[in-house]
Amino acid sequence: MKKLVDLSLRLFLVCAIAALALGFVDALVKDRIEAQERKRKASAADRVLAPLGAVGEESPDLAGMLQDSFPDLISVFRGKGKGGETVGYAFVLKSKGYNFIVMAVGVDREGKVVGLDFIRNEETPGLGSKVLEDEEYISQFLGKGPERLTLRVDVDAYTSATYTSKGVTSGVNMALDMWRTIVEKGG
Amino acid sequence: MEERKTLWGELKKGILDSNPLLVLMVGLCSPLAISTRVENCIFMGLAVIFVITCSNVIISLLRKFIPDQVRIPIYIVVIASFVTIVDLTLKTLPAIYERLGVWIPLIVVNCMILARAEGYASRNEVKYAAVDGLGIGLGYTMVLLVMSVIRELFGTGKIVLFDTTVIDLKVRSAPIILIMFPGAFLTFALLSALLQWYQLRRKRFKGGES
Repeated sequence: MKKLVDLSLRLFLVCAIAALALGFVDALVKDRIEAQERKRKASAADRVLAPLGAVGEESPDLAGMLQDSFPDLISVFRGKGKGGETVGYAFVLKSKGYNFIVMAVGVDREGKVVGLDFIRNEETPGLGSKVLEDEEYISQFLGKGPERLTLRVDVDAYTSATYTSKGVTSGVNMALDMWRTIVEKGG
Repeated sequence: MEERKTLWGELKKGILDSNPLLVLMVGLCSPLAISTRVENCIFMGLAVIFVITCSNVIISLLRKFIPDQVRIPIYIVVIASFVTIVDLTLKTLPAIYERLGVWIPLIVVNCMILARAEGYASRNEVKYAAVDGLGIGLGYTMVLLVMSVIRELFGTGKIVLFDTTVIDLKVRSAPIILIMFPGAFLTFALLSALLQWYQLRRKRFKGGES
């Protein structure tokens, strides 16, 4: 019994010190990590809305509306034009390629894709990752919509990286579905 | 067979004679996965050096305090704490973190680090434990760098470090098998064979004395 208490106390002590140390480090870097995340999402949203001459403004109410039907949505931005009117939307979402792709899709009021940007590219380096870096390939998505896209019909697949092409296409489709939901519910 | 320990000898041991990857063959999965880019390997190597050195020092300091029955949980708590510190720190550098992704948290279960804690740090003085960690960490990093240079250079035709192309072979298409998973095994096996051959030859020249 005494042995058991001794063991538990020692283990507890080590864990307590470790937890304290981690809490300290976490407090040091937490704000920086959050700021980085926000900045990356916002700058991606701005880039995909740039063709509309709009600036992204994060919209928690749209996100709340869409979150239930689209669990892979990360955040929604309204594209605000010069006069403050909504000219389009930017969706930051997660899609499944060979690994995960976190991408921003800009959609205008008519449901046309205006911009694509990749925030996280975890695809196989040199294969899938090339797809996301290939502007010529990505540009074929621009101007498409509002109907859902089918790979190999509306857009080409990328040789040797079919999964990544599928991932990009399904991400764009998800954004188009979200645009439709917003229009139907009158966002 | 008590050999005299020197700090230098302990350091060198980790790099050559008991190189964690090529000789002991422990902790192989992260190097096979991330050695597609040199840049990743630099950060992964630094992370591993930090974690293994710090956890070796702490475990060696606590070796009289740690009861035998619960030593493994304590080792894991210590190692996991350092890994989490690295993980949190790297998260402030999103460009790197996104590529190393899951491999940083997985350093916790890297058997290389636990093996050094159990097999070395818990039985040796702090300074030897520190140097042992450093040596093993350096050995790991060097193998990682060599593998990634081979795989990135010949698999993609160029080496890109921090958005600048360092070497460009100017080829139209490179053998992508090298950056795919089979490439990892091929490169690793060749390197391992090369080191074995070198060690054997050295032994023979010295007349059987290692």
